[in-house]
Amino acid sequence: MKIIIADDSRVMRNIIENAIKPLGLATLHAGNGQEVLDFLEREGAEIGIILLDWNMPVMNGLEVLETIKKNKTYTDIPVLIVSTESEDDKMSKAFAAGAKGYISKPFTPERLLNLVRGRISVGPTC
Amino acid sequence: MTDKIAAIDCGQQTVSTLKGMLGEDVQLTSESFDGIQNLQNYMMIIIEGNGNQRDILQRIRKLRYACYFRAVPIILINNRAYSDSMEPYITSGATEVLSFEEPSAAIQQILKGYLIPNRKPLKEEMEYLNSFIKNTINVLNTTATVEAVFKEVYFTNDFRVFGDISGIIGLSGEAEGILGITFYWPLAKTIIAKMMGVDEEHINADLIHDGVAEIINMISGSTKKDFVGKPYHFEISLPSVIVGSGHQIGHAENTPIAVIIFEVNFQYFALQVCLKSKGNIKGLSAGYKK
Repeated sequence: MKIIIADDSRVMRNIIENAIKPLGLATLHAGNGQEVLDFLEREGAEIGIILLDWNMPVMNGLEVLETIKKNKTYTDIPVLIVSTESEDDKMSKAFAAGAKGYISKPFTPERLLNLVRGRISVGPTC
Repeated sequence: MTDKIAAIDCGQQTVSTLKGMLGEDVQLTSESFDGIQNLQNYMMIIIEGNGNQRDILQRIRKLRYACYFRAVPIILINNRAYSDSMEPYITSGATEVLSFEEPSAAIQQILKGYLIPNRKPLKEEMEYLNSFIKNTINVLNTTATVEAVFKEVYFTNDFRVFGDISGIIGLSGEAEGILGITFYWPLAKTIIAKMMGVDEEHINADLIHDGVAEIINMISGSTKKDFVGKPYHFEISLPSVIVGSGHQIGHAENTPIAVIIFEVNFQYFALQVCLKSKGNIKGLSAGYKK
């Protein structure tokens, strides 16, 4: 199983990777939404979860969610929003587009790890 | 309270002239540039413009660094009027460039004007500034296990960043303005290395740029949440990074900039908050002059 970490900040991708290292899963780093879709196309069967930033260049988090939602092949892959954006209207949009959870930046490594661990084991439920 | 002024490597004649201009309320001490480490406690620094421009600019930069983001005026003074542009001195960190060829009364007035301390925030202004302070400390503590200590805040009308790298983010909505964070390289490198969980030798300039942008993004994002439903709520833009010192940031007219100084293990960084409400919010508005 692999985890896609999508954030335009390499520093943030590293922070996320360090936090979820105890899971022992391989990670794929995406710098924008299009790279997430590229990873899904190449390795979709192995993707266990996507950790997705909201604001990214080329294709943002919401656009990624909406694209994934339209493709039955990927709709079972849980997507967690990892973002500074956590206001109700944006989160409503994210959940309506299929996100299964969110965590606000900054976050403690433990909190992110627990959230990801819970989503991977539970699977595609809210 | 007596104002303390440092005259850095100034000649006896200069010191004597300045003492005559500034009067007995001022404690003017002669200091050597080589011994300078911390200028935070001085109300003003005066440096003579002797030597070539490159050396003077380097000295000014080091003096500005030693002020640790406090608004200590650095006055460059010379016997002759300067024929070259003042801009390099200002962007290096000088506050004013003067010449003894100017009328003494004018020099005296200018110097005494710079001794007026920068305005401190009103109670109602601290209500929103406290949120920025709290979230800055929280972001660094959570992402980098770095303990930042709030030291002081003052207002200035000039949004000029003196440091090695700044992250800037635009704010818009019920309130609008700019939020910036400024570091010197060593502290920025330390913080980013801790964020990434690697040794500092693995941190290059690109990662520092990236990390500084992410830090200001998180500070603005988490502070924004505190203001939801309040008159000074804002949306945030994507962050930009400015490398280098002395840059002047354009900002809303008549909107003062709060400079918030933090300390991390005897190193310092500054958060600059320039925020103006579109409504009539007491304390969050324009027009304060130093």
